[in-house]
Amino acid sequence: MNLAVRDVGRHLARFLGTAGGVGLLLSVVIAMQGIYAGMVDDATILTRAMSADFWIVQRDTRGPFAEASRLDPSIEQRAAAVPGVRRARPYTYQLIQRQRDGDVLRLALIGLGWPGDTGESLPLVKGRRLAQPHGEIIVDASLMLDVGKTLELAGETYTIVGLTKNALTSGGESVAFLSVTDSHLISYDQPPEATLLERERVVERLRKTDLGRAQPNLEDLAKDPRWRPPALSSPPLAAVLVEVDPQRAMEVRATIKHWGDVAIYSQAEEETLLLEGVVQRARMQIGLFTAILTLTAIAIITMVIYNLTLEKTHDLAILKLMGAPRWRLAGLVLQQAWLLGAIGYTLAYAIGQLFFPHFPRRVVITDTIALVAPIATMIVVTLASILGLNHVMRIDPALALEG
Amino acid sequence: MADAVVAVGLTKIYGSGSAQVVALDNVNLTISAGAVVALLGPSGSGKSTLIKALGLISPAERGEVLFQGRSVVKDGSALTDLARLRRRHLGFVFQKANLISFLTARENIEIACQFGDKTDGRKRARDLLDYLQVRHREDAYPEQLSGGEQQRVAIARALANEPSLILADEPTAALDSVRSRAVMDLFRKVAHERGAAVLVVTHDHRALDVFDLLYEMEDGRLRLAKDQAAAHPTTLPATGERASG
Repeated sequence: MNLAVRDVGRHLARFLGTAGGVGLLLSVVIAMQGIYAGMVDDATILTRAMSADFWIVQRDTRGPFAEASRLDPSIEQRAAAVPGVRRARPYTYQLIQRQRDGDVLRLALIGLGWPGDTGESLPLVKGRRLAQPHGEIIVDASLMLDVGKTLELAGETYTIVGLTKNALTSGGESVAFLSVTDSHLISYDQPPEATLLERERVVERLRKTDLGRAQPNLEDLAKDPRWRPPALSSPPLAAVLVEVDPQRAMEVRATIKHWGDVAIYSQAEEETLLLEGVVQRARMQIGLFTAILTLTAIAIITMVIYNLTLEKTHDLAILKLMGAPRWRLAGLVLQQAWLLGAIGYTLAYAIGQLFFPHFPRRVVITDTIALVAPIATMIVVTLASILGLNHVMRIDPALALEG
Repeated sequence: MADAVVAVGLTKIYGSGSAQVVALDNVNLTISAGAVVALLGPSGSGKSTLIKALGLISPAERGEVLFQGRSVVKDGSALTDLARLRRRHLGFVFQKANLISFLTARENIEIACQFGDKTDGRKRARDLLDYLQVRHREDAYPEQLSGGEQQRVAIARALANEPSLILADEPTAALDSVRSRAVMDLFRKVAHERGAAVLVVTHDHRALDVFDLLYEMEDGRLRLAKDQAAAHPTTLPATGERASG
């Protein structure tokens, strides 16, 4: 006869209620660990998705995710010319916020260097890569927009041609990929009034210069909406992504490092910069909170198991008086603790499967969490039983005589 | 008849100095197999302390307990595995039936059989419930049983391992006179038919005639109050008492 099972069977509703509470507690702990893992994953997923060996960014900056980085577009050609470089791609990055169907739409726009980069490194779950340099966009599935839908950005219509999964910024915003040209169009979009005013300012400035006075037809050119002054530079890039011959990686790095206007980071360094810079505080905060929550859960589970044992003090005293072997009494406490842990974890797992995907921030149950959580749960309930076992061993069988 | 249990010079003192209470004062007692012995006395006289000492629950500081001729406790020290001895040779019945709350009537007996390494626990439990006329309540939990039924199940449990000594601490305190009498008769029947020695602590003077020997305790000292063995010719050869402090 299994005493633990008999006791649970007799007080099934109460035991299941307790296990339910433990399950909810465990689900919160697992959620926090998953949110922590999600934050780390989100912070690095974008850099990994771009499949670059090196990131070239503006000198003295830490890359496009940490701070604004402005690179002259010519860096792409310069980098491509370095011996050992297989491919150099332009890269732009900007956050935008728009209204769509009455909702706030926050997007991180990443510009890809058409035609060399159509998004082949992106993990598409639906649709296709970019097939033309204008009017197509790949978005993350978290936006809840399907392939074929359109987005109105900066007065242009962009058709969604592909969907990625889990392409999010460290802040949790969905990422959209489009050509660098389109990203510039959106970045530098101005309302017509602002464009007109800008033209007027150019004309005013021309009138104050000798050149403007000597060449009156320049004023007409400045008023022409199709004309663009040749002296103005192209819009800057956020970074240039470089893929290299693995044998010549150090050589390429050393060469580019000597350029005075850029900084170069390896993929791993770029990820480290993100983790140690952009998300460090949030990561530490959530990490500490997770640790405190885990300790709290251990304390609560310990008290739950201890109280389960306390409630049985009289029955245990009778069993002791009857001469029950110690291992039978210890088994009663331990088996119930294991049952509590197993039911609690199963419930936490089910809650996770049902609700974690709907959390506003991504909850990533890594392989480590999936493996460690059930083992840790069983270890915790076993350790938590020590207090209960200690109580069992100290119960005086004479207690049974006291009615 | 063989001695089931022998206590020699048991002494137990609670507290110290002016707060010192002598619970057992050089108590000597022999209970033979098949004897039904009553232990009377006012509250605080040491009855429960003696039950705990004889039940190998709380040994006396001085003195010796011999079980079936073998010394098992001496001067407060266990000379053998007392829990093992309890589960195989002792049966307990209490004022409140003290059944295990999460086991049914039958399971309360079965578990005792398991502890005593009896292989046919279920059959044995049913036989004992039959014997005590509560078989029809075998699947009921303690809280679903009446006081008298609980006490019968408790006695059945005490008998599960064919103990040589049954210790009962005020087993009829919670029962009316009819059920009280029935329980006392049961003890007599058990002792008579199964050869177990039975020691009953009681305040209940309505059924003292069932006992072979009546002992009284006062201030930790034990004395034989009455020997009724001669009035019970059907009982197995009864008891002996050496001395009291």
